[in-house]
Amino acid sequence: MKKVLGNKKAIALFVGPGLILYVGLVFVPIIWSFVYSFYSGSPGLKWEFSGLTNYKKLFIDQRFMDALVVNLKYIGMVMLGQVVLGLCMALIFKFWLKRFKNVIRTLIFFPVVLPTVAVGQLFAKIYEIQPNYGLLNSLLSNIGLQEWVQPWIGQASTALKALSVMDVWVAMGFYAVIFYGALLDIPDDVMEAARIDGCTSFQMFRHILLPLLRPVTITCLVFSFSGSVKMFESAMALTGGGPGNATTSLSMYMYNTSFGFNKVGYGSTIAIVIFLICILGTTIINKFDVKEEA
Amino acid sequence: MNQAKSKKVVKSTLVKIFIFILVIIETYPIFWMITAALKKPAEFVSKPAYALPDGLYFQNFVDAWTRGNMGLFFKNSLINTFVALIFIVIFSMTIGFAVTKMDWKYKNFFKRFFLLGIMVPVATALIPLFQIYNKMGLVNTRLCLILTYIAFGLSLSIFLVTGYMRSLSNEIMEAAVIDGCGIYSMMWHIVVPLMKNAAVTVLVLQFFYKWNDLIFSMTFINDTKLKTIQTGLLYFQNEFGAKNWGAIFASVSMSVLPMLVLYMILNKTVIEGMTAGAVKG
Amino acid sequence: MKKKALAWMLSAAMTVGCLTGLGTTAVMAETDESNVSKEAVAADDSAEKTFKILSIWAQDTREGKLIYDLTKKYQEEVNPNFEFEFELVSSNDLTTKISTLIASNDLPDAFAYVAGQPLTELIEAGKVVDIGAQLEGLGVADKIEDSAKNLLKDLSSSESFYDLPLGLNVEGFWYNKQIFEDNGVEAPTTWDELITVCDTLMEKGVQPIAVGGADKWPLSRIVNAYVIRTMGIDALTKATTGELSFTDEGFVKAAQEVADMAEKGYFGEGCTTVDNTTAANMVLAGEAAMIYNGSWYSEDIASENNPAGEDGIGFFSIPTVEGGVGEATEIPTNCGNILALSSDKYDGATAGWLKYFVENAGDYAMTEMGSVKGYKYDATAELSPVNQIVVDTINGTTKAATWFEAMMNNETKTAAQDNVQTLVNGEMTAEEYMQSIQDAYDMSEF
Repeated sequence: MKKVLGNKKAIALFVGPGLILYVGLVFVPIIWSFVYSFYSGSPGLKWEFSGLTNYKKLFIDQRFMDALVVNLKYIGMVMLGQVVLGLCMALIFKFWLKRFKNVIRTLIFFPVVLPTVAVGQLFAKIYEIQPNYGLLNSLLSNIGLQEWVQPWIGQASTALKALSVMDVWVAMGFYAVIFYGALLDIPDDVMEAARIDGCTSFQMFRHILLPLLRPVTITCLVFSFSGSVKMFESAMALTGGGPGNATTSLSMYMYNTSFGFNKVGYGSTIAIVIFLICILGTTIINKFDVKEEA
Repeated sequence: MNQAKSKKVVKSTLVKIFIFILVIIETYPIFWMITAALKKPAEFVSKPAYALPDGLYFQNFVDAWTRGNMGLFFKNSLINTFVALIFIVIFSMTIGFAVTKMDWKYKNFFKRFFLLGIMVPVATALIPLFQIYNKMGLVNTRLCLILTYIAFGLSLSIFLVTGYMRSLSNEIMEAAVIDGCGIYSMMWHIVVPLMKNAAVTVLVLQFFYKWNDLIFSMTFINDTKLKTIQTGLLYFQNEFGAKNWGAIFASVSMSVLPMLVLYMILNKTVIEGMTAGAVKG
Repeated sequence: MKKKALAWMLSAAMTVGCLTGLGTTAVMAETDESNVSKEAVAADDSAEKTFKILSIWAQDTREGKLIYDLTKKYQEEVNPNFEFEFELVSSNDLTTKISTLIASNDLPDAFAYVAGQPLTELIEAGKVVDIGAQLEGLGVADKIEDSAKNLLKDLSSSESFYDLPLGLNVEGFWYNKQIFEDNGVEAPTTWDELITVCDTLMEKGVQPIAVGGADKWPLSRIVNAYVIRTMGIDALTKATTGELSFTDEGFVKAAQEVADMAEKGYFGEGCTTVDNTTAANMVLAGEAAMIYNGSWYSEDIASENNPAGEDGIGFFSIPTVEGGVGEATEIPTNCGNILALSSDKYDGATAGWLKYFVENAGDYAMTEMGSVKGYKYDATAELSPVNQIVVDTINGTTKAATWFEAMMNNETKTAAQDNVQTLVNGEMTAEEYMQSIQDAYDMSEF
């Protein structure tokens, strides 16, 4: 057994080709941009070695700070929304839904399939205020809440929230399906026993389901975190980073710096920061997962 | 007794209504997108967003197909995605197996190393990648796009596959070894058949990502003959921001279509597969 | 053990990264020096060449047609050995694409780019052909209108010009005549009159001005309009050279004026969520009375989909402000995005194409599209009413002004455009707005 599974040649064959591609096309470019982060300007345009200047610049660049704050708020809202609502939906499927389980599960998963451009356009129409009220505003206006009608994605106070709602909507079904699978794995007799012992629904959730769902919750958190740190396409499609820079994330700022301002060096520096945040965040989340792995 | 019964009825009705609303919220966009594709340009301004189209204005689809070059782009996207997917599935299977079940020193290190890729912001790699391809003379070929798709699809796929692999029982493998199976025949006759769900899951999820790719194909491909479907959307806006919404939604509808079909056919396996993979992961 | 492996991998990758990184910089340094030559290249109308064009205009738009058709005709009529490839990218991704191409030293023969500061950076790096000098050498320098030449020179702050115009657009206010008539107002000539017109329309329940604030530039253009009438057309140039501060009282006043207009509701609710296409269509559909827009709008106005009809839309120049130095005949002019030629790829075949293009663009644009592109033309074509307005305005322009961000570098421009939304939302004061532009300007020097 050991001999078969320890076959060096086979390991090389199994891992080798993928590893070469991965190192060559994903890992090397990262190192490459790490090297770039010590240069100013753009390759071909005022490209000069500048040492740590870019890293110093991070600390006095107000727009970088703004983008960082926007990004952190977004991570908070989206992670919470996606995972909590996903869990709630999974609980509904499991305990309330009797018929059409498959059909409904299929439909719920649906937004994941849509191209971001299309989703962005759709929500722009939902939040619309001029020339016609969009879905949300006309709903509010019809039920007599005229004073709530507002340009949802046109003002700094609501734009980021509106964007988060959209991203939660898109991915909610994805997390619901994952949680649902985990719920199915929990043996019915465990819950039955708890019920006989007089557990209320909440107690059951708190003391039985939650601990059992821990590993899958952590998986979901990691997924959601690494997705929301890279916040880019959806914001691009819905708000373009505006109004002002109320929805400009780190990735967008990096993109603008590299390609709009022709400062690929500084852009690479920001990319390194994003990468570090990613690793840091994932490590923290994984700290809650002590028992696994062993 | 009666009261309890009616309470139950009320509750189940409320649940039904709630679930109904949920389904509407999640599916309305598709419906809306298809109706929007049938609207005349003026309707986007003069009518509320939720209004149904006045008539069936198929010109948008004609525009999308001819002007947006959809036929050609469709074919290109199919080829690129298809080839990349085959390799992603193969590599993620073999690597996933090697880092979870096989016996070697650095397997945990390599597992983590591969998973690191989930966190790479795509735009970071753009300029270095372009320079690499340019040096190798690969810019403007299908190959560079396919290679990029494979490389950037590996991390997530491996993550999913390792979840399944862990649930693969050691007894089966042991039995196979006792029966005289070598590593390759075990992989082919035991692991692959048992990992069918994993393969389908990876296939479908990656299909969504690759099919929707815009940034890579725009950067690496100049030749109109090699462009992919998402670039077709570009034909409908100009430098001052004027957009032909009807045609855009028509092209989006057309580009979503294959995904819908694939998803409808495979959704049961995918959803079951995804749950299984993630739970054990 | 694990650590050792990691260290090994890192160092290996690092070496690869450094080698390739340094390699590319070395290549770049070489090319920077090689192509500063200003000598004119003679046209060679039989040379074999595959000419690559990177365009943001599809082949059936006006600009795309002009480039594509003329190149095709050059191939058919003059040089059969001249092959060409026409590539389309989205205008949003143009700078990304160009950046990657520059980084790999692989700019296409001809490419669309952004006039003003972005082009200036390429000029400084020696990446683009001095078209002014080449046209002199080819003897066709007089084929481009002086107004266009001056504009291009101003925009790149140089003695010569390095780009080909693909349109000559004038900007001002367009209005729905029917709405004006119904409400008894006339096209204003002073800023105070404009405000009175707006107030009257507001009272009658008509939205006075549609503005595509989601696209940002339509808002900053109105700030610019007020600036050039109060402070004159060179105020922004002075600010970008440091002669004047962006926080100057005059700029703050202009920002305040636009913020006030938004506050009074002239732009309608949530104007920062409306894109310019929608705003422009609102005026055509009679849902708003006026819009500040460029003459590219004439295409929509002349379209059969225009509910107001071509005669239903009028034009007036930016009203003058009492006590301001600007006059009504000083009109913001722009050439849209331009076409530049890669200096690395420039040769006799390209020179032949360039000569043909410049000689024929004016007539072709006039006869095929009835529009003015910045080239001299002999052909006379029956101009449609709206195109007549445009041509008259161009001919009546005494001094050309530029748009708000033309001379700003990209960081400053981004601040000016992003924050103008915050300004009209009332979430930023006029002082803060101008200060943010100044800050971005200072920061970009870092």
